[in-house]
Amino acid sequence: MKLTDEQQKTLRAAVDRIIPSDDYPGAWQAGVGDYLAQQFEKDLLPFFDTYCTGLASLEAESRKQFEQSFSSLSDEQKDAILNQVEAGDVVATWTVSPQNFFKLLINTTAEGFYSEPQQGGNREGVSWAMIGFDSI
Amino acid sequence: MSNYDAIIIGTGAAGGIVAGVLAEAGKNVLLLERGPALSFSEVGRDHLRNQRLSIYGHNAGPDLEGNPRVFVDPQGKVQTVRPHQPHYHNNAACVGGGTRVYGAQAWRFLPVDFRMASTYGVPEGSSLSDWPIAYDDLEPFYERAEWELGVAGDGSALQDKLPRQRGYPLPAVNSSPQTVALRRGAAQLGWSTNPVPLLINTKPYGGREACIGCKYCVGFACPTDAKNGSHNTMIPRALATGLCTLQTGAIVNSIETDTHGTVTGVSYIVQAPHGTEVKKATAKIVVVSAGAIESARLLLNSRSSHHPNGLGNENDQVGRNLQGHLYPRAYGLMREKVFTGIGPGVTIATTQFNHGNPDLIGGGMLADDFIKPPIDFWYDSLPPDLPRWGLANKQFMRDNYTRVLHVRGPVQDISSPKARVTIDHDVLDRWAIPVARLSGTTHPETVRAAEFMQRRGEEWLRASGCEKVWSYSPGLVLSGGQHQAGTCRMGNDPKTSVTDKWGRVHSHDNLFVIDGSLHVTNGGFNPVLTIMALAFRSADYLVQNRL
Repeated sequence: MKLTDEQQKTLRAAVDRIIPSDDYPGAWQAGVGDYLAQQFEKDLLPFFDTYCTGLASLEAESRKQFEQSFSSLSDEQKDAILNQVEAGDVVATWTVSPQNFFKLLINTTAEGFYSEPQQGGNREGVSWAMIGFDSI
Repeated sequence: MSNYDAIIIGTGAAGGIVAGVLAEAGKNVLLLERGPALSFSEVGRDHLRNQRLSIYGHNAGPDLEGNPRVFVDPQGKVQTVRPHQPHYHNNAACVGGGTRVYGAQAWRFLPVDFRMASTYGVPEGSSLSDWPIAYDDLEPFYERAEWELGVAGDGSALQDKLPRQRGYPLPAVNSSPQTVALRRGAAQLGWSTNPVPLLINTKPYGGREACIGCKYCVGFACPTDAKNGSHNTMIPRALATGLCTLQTGAIVNSIETDTHGTVTGVSYIVQAPHGTEVKKATAKIVVVSAGAIESARLLLNSRSSHHPNGLGNENDQVGRNLQGHLYPRAYGLMREKVFTGIGPGVTIATTQFNHGNPDLIGGGMLADDFIKPPIDFWYDSLPPDLPRWGLANKQFMRDNYTRVLHVRGPVQDISSPKARVTIDHDVLDRWAIPVARLSGTTHPETVRAAEFMQRRGEEWLRASGCEKVWSYSPGLVLSGGQHQAGTCRMGNDPKTSVTDKWGRVHSHDNLFVIDGSLHVTNGGFNPVLTIMALAFRSADYLVQNRL
């Protein structure tokens, strides 16, 4: 199962606020998108519709509040919306529970970022190097 | 149909040992296991699908498809759950059972753990009871389990509480920076500590290599076979005699009885070239060692006109008193790194609060933890006031994965007869066998003890130099999981127990339960060494008196 280009853009913008880049790569650069793409074919298949609907709703939320696509918002604006979604305090009409979608989004982002590279994310073990999982 | 001296159902901590003892005594044994034998690479290192963190699956069974259970929550809501989902109370389904992938803490129960009711009285609503045996009855078999499988520990520790005739065969695991910090903290509080005993080869032992200090004990298999379970000790010994037939992929659907109601053997299902095949085997003795949930399920599902409520269930006792452990857990932030990356990770414990706590029944042990894979840490160990996302979350992980001290431990379960396994006849597994239905919770006294231990954990971390401390306690839930026990407890009175002190089902001369189901109480410790000791003891009894 594949996201549309627009959903993919929204996803990328969202996961990069969930795990932003600093001295270390953010979620997208670390491969969270690849992790999710793999998972949409197997374990996350039952949640694929929730994902699509959630991303579309996030996009609608952005257009309603800022009249712009979510991916073109400033970091502060993105965070403001994500905070509202997390709290369920949304303005647009959501057909999935915003809180449930947000929980799914942050959990699966963390899974892609912190689990082993064979899962598709955590490219070259970048998160493990960051936290010291490999140190002796 | 084949005839055996004994048929043993389940190859876990108990079943593997019973098979080994019987076969080495010259008995013909059929050993049945529902799962496969799994190699190291088949168990793998999947951080999201293992027996410690099973978000999307398991690495040691059972299969996610075709093995449902039914769970009834405290509000009465009924749900059908799959093996990797919350509330399933899974244990591994493979040769070795849970021992294939366990952390392998090898604790003895304390003498007072066998006398809970007479020590504390029985709170209202609890089925708390004394064991029909004492620590001294089990002591030689604890020693035997420690030496035959291989346990690393400090034999001079805990002599005042846990008298032992012989030390451990292997030296305790090495200390790490967290050990040093926690030992210092405990000393400041006046608490005693000791190394955590582990079924892990700190040196080569039993023909197997030593631990290489990898980061994957709980939930995974050992790369050097240095973690000692039934799969690499007693089962190979059983097979080496040529007298033990191990049948994997064997699903026992019932224990068979004759027209008089006497147990004659078992009926089991195996994969055949075109579908499945039902096989039957007879034996002088049938031993049920399938773990507390599946053992109870099998007895309850083995119904006939003689036993309309299942075998051994004349007094409605089979499946009751399901118990495991509530695990309070505390975390603290150290100024310095305490993480070395050298496994197993668990090193130091205190048994200061297992008993003797004012106004509490029992208590529990506290220890540091096995190394957690980063995603496990992210799910389990972050402070409640930390945002779950954003730069703050990432930077906490970056700065503190190696600086967080972990303390957790099992709290003695105060048993409730309402915490139980029954059968749901409307939900069938892949083989059309009605599944286990789990309901009830532990007794509220267990929760009080867990909250007390949670505060002791925090106290320990503060004294050890943590700048910030946070903690969690599980609340009033059903305890079971990988420490599941109690569902066919032993006792002298058939009205309040299922088996006698040897594991013989009261109403059946040749039917035995030998596994954690027998535990009258489950101690404030990881229960596996007690399961193993009971298995050695009952197996000896079978050899000397029954076969």
